[in-house]
Amino acid sequence: MAEAGAPTSCGSGMLKMNNIEVAYLNVIRVLHGVSLSVDDGQVVALLGANGAGKSTTLKAISGLLSSEEGEVTGGSIEWNGERIDNRSAEEIGKLGVIQALEGRRVFEHLNTEENLLVGAYQRRDCGAVKADLDMVYQYFPRLKEMRRSTAGYLSGGEQQMLVVGRAIMASPKLLMLDEPSLGLAPKVVETIFQVLVDINKKDVTILLIEQNAQMALQVAHRGYVMETGKMSLEGKAEDVAQNEQIKKTYLGL
Amino acid sequence: MITGKLVIEQILNGLVLGCMYASVASGLTLIWGTMKMINFAHGEFYMLGGYVMYFAIVSFGIPPLYSIFLAVVIVFAMGIVIEKICLHPLLDKPDWDISAFVATLGVGIFFQNFALRVWGERFKSVPYFLEGTLDVFGFRMAYQRIFIFAVTAGVMGGFWLYLKKARFGLGLRATAQDRDAATILGINAKKIYTITFGMSCALASLAAVLLAPIFLINPWMGSVPLIKGFITVVLGGLGSFGGAILGGILLGVVESISVIVFSSEWKDVVAFIILILVLWIRPSGLFGTKEW
Amino acid sequence: MADKRESWIGFGQKLKLKSDHGFLIGTILLAVFPIFIRDAYFLHIMIMALVFSVLAASWNLIVGYIGIFSFGHHAFFGIGGYVSALLAMKAGISPWFGLIIGGIVAALLSFVIGLPCLRLRAAPYIAIATLAFAEISRMTCLNLVDLTRGEMGLWGIPHFPDIILPGIGVISFAGGVRIPYYYLILIIFVVTMTIFHFGLHSHIGLAFRSIRDSQDASESLGVSITYYKLLAFMTGGFFAGVAGGFYAHYLLIMTPTSVLSIGIMIDIVVMTLVGGLGTFLGPVLGAFLVVLGLEYLRVLEEYRFIAYGILLVVMILFVPSGIGKKLFREKQLVD
Repeated sequence: MAEAGAPTSCGSGMLKMNNIEVAYLNVIRVLHGVSLSVDDGQVVALLGANGAGKSTTLKAISGLLSSEEGEVTGGSIEWNGERIDNRSAEEIGKLGVIQALEGRRVFEHLNTEENLLVGAYQRRDCGAVKADLDMVYQYFPRLKEMRRSTAGYLSGGEQQMLVVGRAIMASPKLLMLDEPSLGLAPKVVETIFQVLVDINKKDVTILLIEQNAQMALQVAHRGYVMETGKMSLEGKAEDVAQNEQIKKTYLGL
Repeated sequence: MITGKLVIEQILNGLVLGCMYASVASGLTLIWGTMKMINFAHGEFYMLGGYVMYFAIVSFGIPPLYSIFLAVVIVFAMGIVIEKICLHPLLDKPDWDISAFVATLGVGIFFQNFALRVWGERFKSVPYFLEGTLDVFGFRMAYQRIFIFAVTAGVMGGFWLYLKKARFGLGLRATAQDRDAATILGINAKKIYTITFGMSCALASLAAVLLAPIFLINPWMGSVPLIKGFITVVLGGLGSFGGAILGGILLGVVESISVIVFSSEWKDVVAFIILILVLWIRPSGLFGTKEW
Repeated sequence: MADKRESWIGFGQKLKLKSDHGFLIGTILLAVFPIFIRDAYFLHIMIMALVFSVLAASWNLIVGYIGIFSFGHHAFFGIGGYVSALLAMKAGISPWFGLIIGGIVAALLSFVIGLPCLRLRAAPYIAIATLAFAEISRMTCLNLVDLTRGEMGLWGIPHFPDIILPGIGVISFAGGVRIPYYYLILIIFVVTMTIFHFGLHSHIGLAFRSIRDSQDASESLGVSITYYKLLAFMTGGFFAGVAGGFYAHYLLIMTPTSVLSIGIMIDIVVMTLVGGLGTFLGPVLGAFLVVLGLEYLRVLEEYRFIAYGILLVVMILFVPSGIGKKLFREKQLVD
């Protein structure tokens, strides 16, 4: 099973969430003072039950709250020391903070290769883009087979691989994933996590939401657990995995 | 007497008419597909293109080819300005489809009456820019009409390729399909909307300038193209660029042929009946996705 | 519950009268003011406002309450008018009957239009289909010159014959008087709104709103979509037709352009949206605002409609999200 490598400390970036509060429709408070930090080159896992607020946390970082009538009502989010909680989603994307949204949101009517190329939309370095495309096809040979197929017709596993591949094409500094393993066959999940470990070794910081706590904690350096809009536990991945509560609730032990 | 010659002549006429419908409809479907709105002022941008053409050729004596270019570019710019002023602020507010509809309705009423007030109600005519006819298998085709057909085919084809292959086209299609997923990859959806709106207006303007010598320039000239544009869009499938082109040609030809069978005052009724039949039997149109 | 929200009048939800009280107060004011103001021109404006109130309210029933974005409502208006006028002119039928028959014919027409629209869900499709029907109606009236005199239109449509009211005596509609017409349209208006009120507060109204909010959910709960959609359509069509009949015997002149052109539809849409789509009194408020507003704008002379266009844009930009509710459902997948 893939294991996390030692965290590097050169230049992929640092994310800090300070006491973030998020509300929807001005009335429904979803996050009550959430703090979170992801250091250079780390893999951080964010765990918790459904409805705990994990997706909302990622959406807050990515600047997607406004399209769902939500907003950050308190606290701040910093990327490499700069505040990003007031920036637009595309500005955040351009900074290299890329998210693979939950629900396998591929561009349905584009084919696989077009989907991947859209990932590289902002990039001007054509040669490197080509190289990255080849790299993604090496990570996910299935995608290469299906490169001309319309993305909407791919299977669940293929779509998830496509979403991850597309995010990689964006040359992310911080890659955030929302439940990449949901509903997928174990083999596919393994492939994806293997890829995550690999690109992490190439200096991509990763923030990962997962229901599959076991898998997530094995690849992560640090872990957070969230409960009804608040952080309830944080620490090194091994420590979190050993925590009695966690073992009972998430690992079924 | 219905002769083969008559039919073929009408088909040729229909093709030319179809070019206009295709150009207008492609703009409408582009906006619908990307921004999920109906541009009720589309006919007015068509009209503005006609007027710019008129003033360029008749008042300023600019050669036709440059006038065409000017009309398209100026209307493109106007489209961008209007989008930024009237639609941009509404983008992320609720009830977008209604508010965009009302905004473009207001813009349309404004321009139509502006044209009436400033340029008067007298119909203006633009001279043919290509004289002469060509003999093709015994049929006389005016060079003007061949020109219309060639330019429309070229522009439509080029546009279609652009949408499929170019980086902007890819970004446009991605934004149209899933705005959030596109945005977090760093794509500026709002900028795409603005440019798309401008392109849509430019397409309407192109239709007007190509056909300017055939129809007359007047403040109300946009109403019919707007409605025919909607019919074409439904025929071809909402959101399908290729569908708009084919639908336009089809509508133009069927309309022209129907003039032979029914008299010309009923030809619009025929167009509408076709529309209703299509909506009954195959609502998604020729190429539409299953979202109707 | 949803009822409370629908009591708010639209227009940015700045005015917050309870619609029942507002309706009563408004009706009393409308009934009483001709005692003081007798200017024929002003009465004409008010008559037009009331005609459009009926049109807008009946359109609102279809669009705002059951969520079918009809763009051909003016066809019912025009057809109702033509039927009533032609019956009076060619068959000597009294306008009093013609009015009702016009409404019934309009209702039947709306049944015909409604059938193909039942399967459509996305607003643009319904809009273009209903517009198509309206345009077919208009062009038919235009082309059947022998019957309708085409674009020349019908002239000399008979006015309403005298009626005798106990205690008041003979009421004559001849000679260009306004007051009898005013009270007639006021009565039509009140009857229309009252029927709407009781209908919407009954199980019918509940069914309408549930269909508007989610067709799939309603269907799965056993609500007959077809029945309620057609009911809404035909009711709206009937009253629009009656309004058309009134219009014919009031103006005494009718052309396809005057009653069947898309401009009328646009007016109805603007009025309803300005006032508040899906609210009870919103369309009425909007009708009065637009009719009176356009009159007031007459000072601008030729710039009147240019200003109208600008005002529309300004209104939609600055009146916050409250104009209308989210009525166009997301595109549905094929059954």
